[in-house]
Amino acid sequence: MKEWKYHPPPDIDATMLESLRDFPRQPYMLVYAMRSLAALLLRGWMKIYHRLEVAGRNNLPESGSFILICNHTSHLDTLSLLTAIPLKKIHHTFPAAAADYFFSSLPRSAMSAILINALPFDRKVKGAESLKVCSQLLANDGNILIIFPEGTRTRTGEMGRFRSGIGRLVVGTDLPVIPCHLAGGLNAWPKRRILPRPHKLRLTIGAPQTFIHLEKNGESVRAVCQNLEDRVAQLRSSGA
Amino acid sequence: MTIEAALSNDIFLTYLAIVGGILAFAGVVLGALTLIGKDVSSIWKTYRGWLVMIPLVFGTIFLGRTATIIGVTLLAIFSFKEFARATGLYDDWWFTGTVYVAITALGVASLVTDPRLQSAGWYGIFMALPVYVIATILLIPIIRNRAKGQLQRVALAIVGFVYFGWMFSHLAFLANTPYAYGYLLYLIFAVEINDVAAFTCGKLFGLHKLRENISPNKTIEGSLGAVAVSMTIPWLLWFSFPHFEALDLILAGLIVGIGGQVGDLTISYIKRDIGIKDMGVVISGHGGILDRVDSMIFVAPIFFHMVRWFHGLS
Repeated sequence: MKEWKYHPPPDIDATMLESLRDFPRQPYMLVYAMRSLAALLLRGWMKIYHRLEVAGRNNLPESGSFILICNHTSHLDTLSLLTAIPLKKIHHTFPAAAADYFFSSLPRSAMSAILINALPFDRKVKGAESLKVCSQLLANDGNILIIFPEGTRTRTGEMGRFRSGIGRLVVGTDLPVIPCHLAGGLNAWPKRRILPRPHKLRLTIGAPQTFIHLEKNGESVRAVCQNLEDRVAQLRSSGA
Repeated sequence: MTIEAALSNDIFLTYLAIVGGILAFAGVVLGALTLIGKDVSSIWKTYRGWLVMIPLVFGTIFLGRTATIIGVTLLAIFSFKEFARATGLYDDWWFTGTVYVAITALGVASLVTDPRLQSAGWYGIFMALPVYVIATILLIPIIRNRAKGQLQRVALAIVGFVYFGWMFSHLAFLANTPYAYGYLLYLIFAVEINDVAAFTCGKLFGLHKLRENISPNKTIEGSLGAVAVSMTIPWLLWFSFPHFEALDLILAGLIVGIGGQVGDLTISYIKRDIGIKDMGVVISGHGGILDRVDSMIFVAPIFFHMVRWFHGLS
Protein backbone atom coordinates (compact mmCIF):
# COMPACT_ATOMS: atom_id res chain seq x y z
CA MET A 1 0.00 0.00 0.00
CA LYS A 2 1.28 3.44 -0.91
CA GLU A 3 1.68 5.99 1.83
CA TRP A 4 -0.72 8.87 2.24
CA LYS A 5 0.54 12.38 1.77
CA TYR A 6 -0.14 14.75 4.66
CA HIS A 7 -0.07 18.52 4.34
CA PRO A 8 0.62 20.13 7.70
CA PRO A 9 0.34 23.95 7.46
CA PRO A 10 3.56 25.99 7.44
CA ASP A 11 2.63 27.78 10.66
CA ILE A 12 2.25 24.62 12.77
CA ASP A 13 5.17 25.63 15.01
CA ALA A 14 4.13 29.29 15.27
CA THR A 15 2.75 30.83 18.44
CA MET A 16 -0.55 32.69 18.27
CA LEU A 17 1.13 36.09 17.93
CA GLU A 18 3.45 34.80 15.22
CA SER A 19 0.66 33.31 13.16
CA LEU A 20 -1.38 36.52 13.50
CA ARG A 21 1.52 38.56 12.13
CA ASP A 22 2.42 35.99 9.50
CA PHE A 23 1.37 36.65 5.93
CA PRO A 24 -0.14 35.14 3.81
CA ARG A 25 -2.45 34.08 6.58
CA GLN A 26 -3.60 30.49 7.11
CA PRO A 27 -7.39 30.13 6.97
CA TYR A 28 -9.08 29.42 10.30
CA MET A 29 -12.76 28.60 10.56
CA LEU A 30 -13.30 30.58 13.76
CA VAL A 31 -11.47 33.58 12.30
CA TYR A 32 -13.64 33.49 9.17
CA ALA A 33 -16.78 33.29 11.29
CA MET A 34 -15.68 36.20 13.49
CA ARG A 35 -14.68 38.28 10.46
CA SER A 36 -17.99 37.66 8.68
CA LEU A 37 -19.87 38.63 11.82
CA ALA A 38 -17.72 41.75 12.26
CA ALA A 39 -18.30 42.70 8.61
CA LEU A 40 -22.07 42.39 9.06
CA LEU A 41 -22.06 44.50 12.21
CA LEU A 42 -19.78 47.03 10.52
CA ARG A 43 -22.20 47.38 7.61
CA GLY A 44 -25.04 48.15 9.99
CA TRP A 45 -22.92 50.60 11.98
CA MET A 46 -21.70 52.49 8.90
CA LYS A 47 -25.21 52.79 7.49
CA ILE A 48 -26.94 53.85 10.70
CA TYR A 49 -24.30 55.82 12.61
CA HIS A 50 -22.50 57.43 9.67
CA ARG A 51 -25.28 57.24 7.05
CA LEU A 52 -22.60 56.09 4.61
CA GLU A 53 -23.48 56.70 0.98
CA VAL A 54 -21.59 54.80 -1.73
CA ALA A 55 -21.50 56.19 -5.28
CA GLY A 56 -20.04 54.28 -8.24
CA ARG A 57 -20.31 50.79 -6.80
CA ASN A 58 -20.64 49.44 -10.36
CA ASN A 59 -17.01 50.48 -10.97
CA LEU A 60 -15.88 47.52 -8.83
CA PRO A 61 -14.78 44.63 -11.11
CA GLU A 62 -16.92 41.51 -10.78
CA SER A 63 -13.93 39.16 -10.78
CA GLY A 64 -10.15 39.13 -10.80
CA SER A 65 -7.73 40.86 -8.49
CA PHE A 66 -7.66 44.62 -8.16
CA ILE A 67 -6.43 47.47 -5.97
CA LEU A 68 -8.52 50.07 -4.22
CA ILE A 69 -6.80 53.34 -3.39
CA CYS A 70 -8.31 56.11 -1.31
CA ASN A 71 -7.47 59.35 0.42
CA HIS A 72 -6.60 58.79 4.08
CA THR A 73 -8.25 60.98 6.67
CA SER A 74 -9.22 58.48 9.36
CA HIS A 75 -9.73 54.78 10.15
CA LEU A 76 -13.19 55.23 8.65
CA ASP A 77 -11.61 55.08 5.17
CA THR A 78 -10.80 51.40 5.53
CA LEU A 79 -14.12 50.66 7.19
CA SER A 80 -16.06 52.46 4.42
CA LEU A 81 -14.21 50.58 1.68
CA LEU A 82 -14.79 47.28 3.46
CA THR A 83 -18.49 48.13 3.60
CA ALA A 84 -18.56 48.84 -0.14
CA ILE A 85 -17.14 45.42 -1.06
CA PRO A 86 -19.54 42.47 -1.49
CA LEU A 87 -19.74 40.40 1.71
CA LYS A 88 -18.55 37.17 0.06
CA LYS A 89 -15.26 38.83 -0.95
CA ILE A 90 -14.51 40.05 2.56
CA HIS A 91 -12.00 37.24 3.29
CA HIS A 92 -10.09 38.07 0.12
CA THR A 93 -9.88 41.78 0.84
CA PHE A 94 -6.67 42.97 2.46
CA PRO A 95 -6.24 46.54 3.67
CA ALA A 96 -2.50 47.28 3.75
CA ALA A 97 -1.91 48.47 7.30
CA ALA A 98 1.21 49.95 8.89
CA ALA A 99 2.94 47.08 10.67
CA ASP A 100 4.44 49.48 13.24
CA TYR A 101 0.96 50.60 14.32
CA PHE A 102 -1.55 47.82 13.63
CA PHE A 103 0.68 44.86 14.52
CA SER A 104 2.49 46.39 17.50
CA SER A 105 0.84 44.29 20.22
CA LEU A 106 -1.16 41.08 20.60
CA PRO A 107 -4.62 42.72 20.97
CA ARG A 108 -3.96 45.06 18.04
CA SER A 109 -2.58 42.26 15.87
CA ALA A 110 -5.57 40.08 16.71
CA MET A 111 -8.00 42.85 15.82
CA SER A 112 -6.17 43.75 12.59
CA ALA A 113 -5.70 40.17 11.43
CA ILE A 114 -9.03 38.71 12.51
CA LEU A 115 -11.57 41.49 12.03
CA ILE A 116 -10.01 43.65 9.32
CA ASN A 117 -7.88 41.00 7.56
CA ALA A 118 -5.10 43.58 7.37
CA LEU A 119 -1.90 42.97 5.45
CA PRO A 120 1.04 44.03 7.66
CA PHE A 121 2.88 46.65 5.61
CA ASP A 122 6.33 47.75 6.72
CA ARG A 123 6.38 51.44 5.81
CA LYS A 124 9.69 52.13 7.55
CA VAL A 125 12.36 49.53 6.88
CA LYS A 126 11.32 46.80 4.48
CA GLY A 127 9.01 48.68 2.13
CA ALA A 128 10.24 46.79 -0.95
CA GLU A 129 9.62 43.44 0.74
CA SER A 130 6.10 44.47 1.70
CA LEU A 131 5.43 45.51 -1.89
CA LYS A 132 6.60 42.08 -3.04
CA VAL A 133 4.09 40.46 -0.66
CA CYS A 134 1.41 42.70 -2.20
CA SER A 135 2.22 41.74 -5.77
CA GLN A 136 2.30 38.03 -4.86
CA LEU A 137 -1.11 38.46 -3.28
CA LEU A 138 -2.49 40.17 -6.38
CA ALA A 139 -0.98 37.50 -8.66
CA ASN A 140 -3.57 35.11 -7.18
CA ASP A 141 -7.01 35.48 -8.64
CA GLY A 142 -9.77 37.30 -6.79
CA ASN A 143 -7.79 39.18 -4.17
CA ILE A 144 -8.51 42.81 -3.35
CA LEU A 145 -5.83 45.07 -1.90
CA ILE A 146 -6.69 48.34 -0.18
CA ILE A 147 -3.89 50.91 -0.18
CA PHE A 148 -3.64 54.45 1.09
CA PRO A 149 -0.89 55.89 -1.13
CA GLU A 150 -0.38 58.89 1.15
CA GLY A 151 1.10 56.48 3.68
CA THR A 152 -0.47 58.14 6.70
CA ARG A 153 -3.62 59.91 7.84
CA THR A 154 -3.84 63.62 7.05
CA ARG A 155 -4.23 66.00 9.96
CA THR A 156 -5.32 69.02 7.96
CA GLY A 157 -7.72 67.54 5.41
CA GLU A 158 -5.34 68.36 2.56
CA MET A 159 -4.42 65.26 0.60
CA GLY A 160 -0.73 64.38 0.96
CA ARG A 161 1.55 63.47 -1.99
CA PHE A 162 1.20 59.84 -3.13
CA ARG A 163 4.20 57.72 -2.26
CA SER A 164 5.84 55.71 -5.01
CA GLY A 165 4.77 52.25 -3.76
CA ILE A 166 1.46 52.17 -5.61
CA GLY A 167 3.22 53.20 -8.84
CA ARG A 168 5.88 50.52 -8.48
CA LEU A 169 3.18 47.94 -7.76
CA VAL A 170 1.07 48.51 -10.90
CA VAL A 171 3.28 50.06 -13.58
CA GLY A 172 3.46 47.83 -16.65
CA THR A 173 0.83 45.40 -15.31
CA ASP A 174 -2.81 44.85 -16.20
CA LEU A 175 -3.88 45.19 -12.54
CA PRO A 176 -6.87 47.52 -12.33
CA VAL A 177 -6.49 50.34 -9.80
CA ILE A 178 -9.72 51.85 -8.59
CA PRO A 179 -9.42 55.38 -7.22
CA CYS A 180 -11.83 56.18 -4.39
CA HIS A 181 -12.53 59.20 -2.29
CA LEU A 182 -14.15 59.37 1.11
CA ALA A 183 -15.64 62.70 2.17
CA GLY A 184 -16.46 63.46 5.79
CA GLY A 185 -13.91 61.19 7.43
CA LEU A 186 -11.85 63.96 8.94
CA ASN A 187 -14.84 65.50 10.67
CA ALA A 188 -16.14 62.19 11.86
CA TRP A 189 -12.92 60.80 13.26
CA PRO A 190 -9.91 63.15 13.50
CA LYS A 191 -6.55 61.54 14.24
CA ARG A 192 -6.49 62.34 17.95
CA ARG A 193 -10.00 61.26 18.90
CA ILE A 194 -10.54 57.79 20.37
CA LEU A 195 -14.06 57.22 19.02
CA PRO A 196 -15.77 58.53 15.88
CA ARG A 197 -18.55 61.11 15.87
CA PRO A 198 -21.82 60.42 14.02
CA HIS A 199 -20.99 62.53 10.97
CA LYS A 200 -22.16 61.67 7.49
CA LEU A 201 -19.76 59.89 5.15
CA ARG A 202 -19.77 59.72 1.36
CA LEU A 203 -17.64 57.27 -0.59
CA THR A 204 -17.12 57.81 -4.32
CA ILE A 205 -15.70 54.93 -6.33
CA GLY A 206 -14.02 55.94 -9.60
CA ALA A 207 -13.43 54.09 -12.86
CA PRO A 208 -10.70 51.37 -12.94
CA GLN A 209 -7.30 52.41 -14.35
CA THR A 210 -4.61 50.15 -15.80
CA PHE A 211 -1.03 51.05 -16.62
CA ILE A 212 0.07 48.18 -18.86
CA HIS A 213 1.15 50.57 -21.61
CA LEU A 214 3.88 52.10 -19.43
CA GLU A 215 7.44 50.83 -19.13
CA LYS A 216 8.80 49.94 -15.72
CA ASN A 217 11.01 52.88 -14.85
CA GLY A 218 11.17 55.70 -12.33
CA GLU A 219 9.59 58.21 -14.67
CA SER A 220 6.47 56.16 -15.33
CA VAL A 221 6.18 55.34 -11.62
CA ARG A 222 5.98 59.06 -10.94
CA ALA A 223 3.51 59.46 -13.80
CA VAL A 224 1.26 56.71 -12.39
CA CYS A 225 1.33 58.28 -8.93
CA GLN A 226 0.52 61.71 -10.33
CA ASN A 227 -2.28 60.28 -12.49
CA LEU A 228 -3.88 58.48 -9.56
CA GLU A 229 -3.46 61.45 -7.27
CA ASP A 230 -5.27 63.63 -9.82
CA ARG A 231 -8.06 61.11 -10.18
CA VAL A 232 -8.71 60.92 -6.45
CA ALA A 233 -8.65 64.73 -6.32
CA GLN A 234 -11.15 64.79 -9.20
CA LEU A 235 -13.49 62.45 -7.31
CA ARG A 236 -13.22 64.83 -4.41
CA SER A 237 -14.32 67.85 -6.40
CA SER A 238 -17.04 65.92 -8.28
CA GLY A 239 -18.33 64.25 -5.14
CA ALA A 240 -18.46 67.39 -3.02
CA MET B 1 -20.83 19.35 41.19
CA THR B 2 -21.48 22.95 42.18
CA ILE B 3 -19.42 25.71 43.73
CA GLU B 4 -20.96 25.04 47.17
CA ALA B 5 -20.35 21.32 46.79
CA ALA B 6 -16.72 21.90 45.84
CA LEU B 7 -16.16 24.14 48.88
CA SER B 8 -17.45 21.45 51.24
CA ASN B 9 -16.02 18.48 49.34
CA ASP B 10 -13.07 16.94 51.16
CA ILE B 11 -11.82 15.20 48.03
CA PHE B 12 -11.66 18.44 46.05
CA LEU B 13 -9.98 20.32 48.90
CA THR B 14 -7.47 17.53 49.54
CA TYR B 15 -6.40 17.49 45.89
CA LEU B 16 -6.12 21.27 45.95
CA ALA B 17 -3.81 20.98 48.97
CA ILE B 18 -1.73 18.15 47.46
CA VAL B 19 -1.24 19.85 44.09
CA GLY B 20 -0.67 23.25 45.68
CA GLY B 21 1.93 21.68 47.96
CA ILE B 22 3.74 19.93 45.10
CA LEU B 23 3.72 23.14 43.06
CA ALA B 24 5.09 25.19 45.95
CA PHE B 25 7.73 22.55 46.73
CA ALA B 26 8.81 22.37 43.09
CA GLY B 27 9.01 26.16 42.97
CA VAL B 28 11.27 26.24 46.03
CA VAL B 29 13.52 23.48 44.63
CA LEU B 30 13.78 25.23 41.26
CA GLY B 31 14.48 28.54 42.98
CA ALA B 32 17.24 26.95 45.06
CA LEU B 33 18.77 25.32 41.97
CA THR B 34 18.77 28.68 40.19
CA LEU B 35 20.42 30.33 43.20
CA ILE B 36 23.31 27.84 43.30
CA GLY B 37 23.88 28.51 39.62
CA LYS B 38 22.32 25.49 37.86
CA ASP B 39 20.77 26.12 34.45
CA VAL B 40 17.11 25.20 34.87
CA SER B 41 15.62 27.74 32.47
CA SER B 42 13.83 25.11 30.35
CA ILE B 43 12.30 23.57 33.49
CA TRP B 44 11.18 27.03 34.59
CA LYS B 45 9.37 27.37 31.28
CA THR B 46 7.54 24.08 31.84
CA TYR B 47 6.85 25.12 35.43
CA ARG B 48 5.29 28.41 34.32
CA GLY B 49 3.08 26.40 31.97
CA TRP B 50 1.86 24.38 34.96
CA LEU B 51 1.23 27.59 36.89
CA VAL B 52 -1.28 28.51 34.19
CA MET B 53 -2.81 25.07 33.59
CA ILE B 54 -3.33 23.90 37.16
CA PRO B 55 -5.48 26.89 38.23
CA LEU B 56 -7.43 26.49 34.99
CA VAL B 57 -8.16 22.82 35.73
CA PHE B 58 -9.11 23.40 39.37
CA GLY B 59 -11.04 26.54 38.49
CA THR B 60 -13.13 24.71 35.88
CA ILE B 61 -13.90 21.78 38.20
CA PHE B 62 -14.62 24.24 41.02
CA LEU B 63 -17.23 26.02 38.86
CA GLY B 64 -19.15 22.77 38.60
CA ARG B 65 -20.57 20.18 36.26
CA THR B 66 -21.55 22.47 33.38
CA ALA B 67 -18.19 24.23 33.30
CA THR B 68 -16.35 20.91 33.45
CA ILE B 69 -18.33 19.40 30.58
CA ILE B 70 -17.92 22.54 28.46
CA GLY B 71 -14.22 22.67 29.32
CA VAL B 72 -13.54 19.05 28.31
CA THR B 73 -15.62 19.50 25.15
CA LEU B 74 -13.59 22.55 24.17
CA LEU B 75 -10.37 20.62 24.84
CA ALA B 76 -11.66 17.81 22.62
CA ILE B 77 -12.54 20.27 19.85
CA PHE B 78 -9.13 21.93 20.00
CA SER B 79 -7.38 18.54 20.14
CA PHE B 80 -9.23 17.50 17.01
CA LYS B 81 -8.39 20.83 15.42
CA GLU B 82 -4.69 20.27 16.03
CA PHE B 83 -4.99 16.79 14.53
CA ALA B 84 -6.92 18.14 11.54
CA ARG B 85 -4.41 20.91 10.93
CA ALA B 86 -1.43 18.58 11.24
CA THR B 87 -2.86 16.06 8.78
CA GLY B 88 -4.20 18.70 6.39
CA LEU B 89 -7.81 17.57 6.88
CA TYR B 90 -8.47 21.11 8.15
CA ASP B 91 -8.32 22.39 4.55
CA ASP B 92 -11.64 20.63 3.98
CA TRP B 93 -14.12 22.61 6.03
CA TRP B 94 -16.99 20.20 5.35
CA PHE B 95 -15.34 17.37 7.24
CA THR B 96 -13.78 19.57 9.89
CA GLY B 97 -17.03 21.44 10.49
CA THR B 98 -19.00 18.20 10.74
CA VAL B 99 -16.64 16.84 13.37
CA TYR B 100 -16.78 20.14 15.30
CA VAL B 101 -20.57 19.89 15.39
CA ALA B 102 -20.35 16.21 16.35
CA ILE B 103 -18.01 16.86 19.29
CA THR B 104 -20.29 19.69 20.42
CA ALA B 105 -23.16 17.18 20.29
CA LEU B 106 -21.18 14.91 22.63
CA GLY B 107 -20.91 17.80 25.06
CA VAL B 108 -24.65 18.42 24.82
CA ALA B 109 -25.35 14.70 25.37
CA SER B 110 -23.25 14.87 28.55
CA LEU B 111 -25.07 17.99 29.73
CA VAL B 112 -28.74 17.15 29.20
CA THR B 113 -30.92 14.97 31.37
CA ASP B 114 -31.75 11.48 30.13
CA PRO B 115 -35.42 11.80 29.04
CA ARG B 116 -36.34 8.26 30.20
CA LEU B 117 -34.16 7.68 33.24
CA GLN B 118 -34.15 11.32 34.41
CA SER B 119 -30.46 10.97 35.25
CA ALA B 120 -27.82 13.62 34.55
CA GLY B 121 -26.28 13.05 31.11
CA TRP B 122 -27.95 11.14 28.29
CA TYR B 123 -25.82 8.00 28.31
CA GLY B 124 -27.69 6.23 25.50
CA ILE B 125 -27.25 8.98 22.92
CA PHE B 126 -23.68 9.60 24.03
CA MET B 127 -22.78 6.00 23.23
CA ALA B 128 -24.88 5.94 20.04
CA LEU B 129 -23.52 9.19 18.59
CA PRO B 130 -20.57 7.57 16.74
CA VAL B 131 -23.07 5.64 14.60
CA TYR B 132 -24.78 8.80 13.40
CA VAL B 133 -21.59 10.80 13.09
CA ILE B 134 -19.77 8.13 11.09
CA ALA B 135 -22.83 7.82 8.85
CA THR B 136 -22.83 11.59 8.31
CA ILE B 137 -19.11 11.67 7.54
CA LEU B 138 -19.57 8.86 5.00
CA LEU B 139 -22.39 10.85 3.40
CA ILE B 140 -20.33 14.00 2.79
CA PRO B 141 -18.64 12.80 -0.45
CA ILE B 142 -22.04 11.65 -1.76
CA ILE B 143 -23.67 14.99 -0.98
CA ARG B 144 -20.80 16.86 -2.64
CA ASN B 145 -20.58 14.39 -5.56
CA ARG B 146 -16.83 13.87 -5.13
CA ALA B 147 -14.64 10.79 -5.17
CA LYS B 148 -11.01 11.86 -5.50
CA GLY B 149 -9.19 11.79 -2.17
CA GLN B 150 -12.41 11.24 -0.24
CA LEU B 151 -11.49 7.97 1.49
CA GLN B 152 -8.49 9.61 3.13
CA ARG B 153 -10.64 12.48 4.37
CA VAL B 154 -13.40 10.18 5.59
CA ALA B 155 -10.85 8.03 7.41
CA LEU B 156 -9.10 10.99 9.02
CA ALA B 157 -12.41 12.53 10.06
CA ILE B 158 -13.65 9.28 11.63
CA VAL B 159 -10.38 8.71 13.53
CA GLY B 160 -10.45 12.37 14.55
CA PHE B 161 -13.99 12.16 15.85
CA VAL B 162 -13.82 8.77 17.53
CA TYR B 163 -10.42 9.19 19.15
CA PHE B 164 -10.08 12.90 19.94
CA GLY B 165 -13.78 13.59 20.29
CA TRP B 166 -15.68 10.60 21.55
CA MET B 167 -13.06 8.71 23.57
CA PHE B 168 -11.79 11.90 25.15
CA SER B 169 -15.30 13.18 25.94
CA HIS B 170 -15.86 10.25 28.32
CA LEU B 171 -13.94 12.43 30.75
CA ALA B 172 -16.73 15.01 30.52
CA PHE B 173 -19.41 12.38 31.12
CA LEU B 174 -17.69 11.38 34.38
CA ALA B 175 -18.82 14.78 35.73
CA ASN B 176 -22.32 13.27 35.96
CA THR B 177 -21.33 10.63 38.51
CA PRO B 178 -21.66 11.06 42.31
CA TYR B 179 -17.89 10.62 42.68
CA ALA B 180 -17.13 13.18 39.97
CA TYR B 181 -14.52 15.07 42.00
CA GLY B 182 -12.67 11.89 42.95
CA TYR B 183 -12.77 10.34 39.49
CA LEU B 184 -11.82 13.48 37.56
CA LEU B 185 -9.10 14.70 39.90
CA TYR B 186 -7.65 11.19 40.31
CA LEU B 187 -7.49 10.73 36.52
CA ILE B 188 -5.90 14.11 35.82
CA PHE B 189 -3.45 13.81 38.71
CA ALA B 190 -2.52 10.17 38.10
CA VAL B 191 -2.06 10.62 34.34
CA GLU B 192 0.35 13.51 34.89
CA ILE B 193 2.25 11.60 37.60
CA ASN B 194 2.46 8.67 35.18
CA ASP B 195 4.00 10.95 32.53
CA VAL B 196 6.50 12.35 34.99
CA ALA B 197 7.32 8.88 36.36
CA ALA B 198 7.96 7.49 32.85
CA PHE B 199 10.29 10.41 32.14
CA THR B 200 12.13 10.23 35.47
CA CYS B 201 12.50 6.44 35.57
CA GLY B 202 13.72 6.55 31.98
CA LYS B 203 16.35 9.16 32.87
CA LEU B 204 17.47 7.24 35.96
CA PHE B 205 17.41 3.61 34.81
CA GLY B 206 16.77 3.75 31.06
CA LEU B 207 18.83 1.27 29.03
CA HIS B 208 16.61 -0.54 26.53
CA LYS B 209 14.57 1.31 23.94
CA LEU B 210 10.83 0.76 24.23
CA ARG B 211 9.68 1.60 20.68
CA GLU B 212 12.64 3.15 18.90
CA ASN B 213 10.79 3.78 15.62
CA ILE B 214 8.07 5.75 17.34
CA SER B 215 9.60 7.58 20.27
CA PRO B 216 13.35 7.03 20.56
CA ASN B 217 13.69 8.57 24.02
CA LYS B 218 11.34 6.14 25.76
CA THR B 219 12.81 3.11 27.47
CA ILE B 220 11.44 -0.17 28.78
CA GLU B 221 12.78 0.70 32.24
CA GLY B 222 11.01 4.06 32.22
CA SER B 223 7.80 2.43 31.08
CA LEU B 224 7.86 -0.31 33.74
CA GLY B 225 8.77 2.25 36.39
CA ALA B 226 5.78 4.36 35.41
CA VAL B 227 3.42 1.38 35.62
CA ALA B 228 4.83 0.56 39.07
CA VAL B 229 4.35 4.14 40.28
CA SER B 230 0.87 4.34 38.78
CA MET B 231 -0.08 1.05 40.49
CA THR B 232 0.66 2.57 43.89
CA ILE B 233 -1.12 5.89 43.30
CA PRO B 234 -4.73 4.60 43.67
CA TRP B 235 -3.85 3.11 47.08
CA LEU B 236 -2.39 6.42 48.23
CA LEU B 237 -5.42 8.30 46.87
CA TRP B 238 -8.03 5.78 48.06
CA PHE B 239 -9.99 8.64 49.63
CA SER B 240 -10.94 9.71 46.07
CA PHE B 241 -13.14 6.61 45.67
CA PRO B 242 -13.86 5.11 49.10
CA HIS B 243 -16.22 2.54 47.55
CA PHE B 244 -13.39 0.97 45.51
CA GLU B 245 -12.14 -2.49 46.45
CA ALA B 246 -8.69 -3.95 45.87
CA LEU B 247 -9.53 -5.10 42.32
CA ASP B 248 -10.80 -1.61 41.41
CA LEU B 249 -7.63 -0.02 42.74
CA ILE B 250 -5.42 -2.43 40.78
CA LEU B 251 -7.40 -1.81 37.60
CA ALA B 252 -7.38 1.98 38.12
CA GLY B 253 -3.58 1.85 38.44
CA LEU B 254 -3.14 -0.41 35.41
CA ILE B 255 -5.44 1.67 33.22
CA VAL B 256 -3.52 4.85 33.97
CA GLY B 257 -0.09 3.19 33.89
CA ILE B 258 -0.58 1.40 30.57
CA GLY B 259 -3.25 3.59 28.96
CA GLY B 260 -1.33 6.78 29.60
CA GLN B 261 1.74 5.47 27.82
CA VAL B 262 -0.25 3.99 24.94
CA GLY B 263 -1.96 7.35 24.45
CA ASP B 264 1.41 9.06 24.44
CA LEU B 265 2.80 6.59 21.89
CA THR B 266 -0.32 6.95 19.72
CA ILE B 267 0.22 10.69 19.32
CA SER B 268 3.93 10.00 18.82
CA TYR B 269 3.41 7.73 15.83
CA ILE B 270 0.79 10.06 14.37
CA LYS B 271 3.28 12.93 14.61
CA ARG B 272 6.12 10.82 13.25
CA ASP B 273 4.02 9.61 10.33
CA ILE B 274 3.07 13.19 9.46
CA GLY B 275 6.63 14.36 10.03
CA ILE B 276 6.18 17.04 12.67
CA LYS B 277 7.69 17.50 16.14
CA ASP B 278 4.85 19.09 18.09
CA MET B 279 1.14 19.32 17.37
CA GLY B 280 1.31 23.10 17.67
CA VAL B 281 2.38 25.77 20.12
CA VAL B 282 -0.22 26.69 22.68
CA ILE B 283 1.32 26.21 26.09
CA SER B 284 4.86 27.53 26.35
CA GLY B 285 7.17 24.64 27.26
CA HIS B 286 4.47 22.03 26.63
CA GLY B 287 3.83 22.14 22.86
CA GLY B 288 0.25 21.95 21.62
CA ILE B 289 -2.87 20.90 23.49
CA LEU B 290 -2.58 17.36 22.16
CA ASP B 291 0.98 17.05 23.40
CA ARG B 292 -0.43 17.65 26.88
CA VAL B 293 -3.67 15.66 26.87
CA ASP B 294 -2.49 12.73 24.73
CA SER B 295 -2.17 10.35 27.69
CA MET B 296 -5.68 11.12 28.92
CA ILE B 297 -7.44 10.15 25.68
CA PHE B 298 -6.82 6.43 26.15
CA VAL B 299 -7.31 6.45 29.90
CA ALA B 300 -10.61 8.33 30.17
CA PRO B 301 -12.95 5.92 28.31
CA ILE B 302 -11.40 2.73 29.71
CA PHE B 303 -11.53 4.03 33.28
CA PHE B 304 -15.09 5.21 32.61
CA HIS B 305 -16.30 1.78 31.52
CA MET B 306 -14.42 0.04 34.33
CA VAL B 307 -16.21 2.25 36.85
CA ARG B 308 -19.54 1.81 35.12
CA TRP B 309 -19.19 -1.98 35.01
CA PHE B 310 -18.36 -2.39 38.68
CA HIS B 311 -20.21 0.49 40.31
CA GLY B 312 -22.62 2.06 37.83
CA LEU B 313 -22.72 5.72 36.97
CA SER B 314 -25.26 6.92 39.52
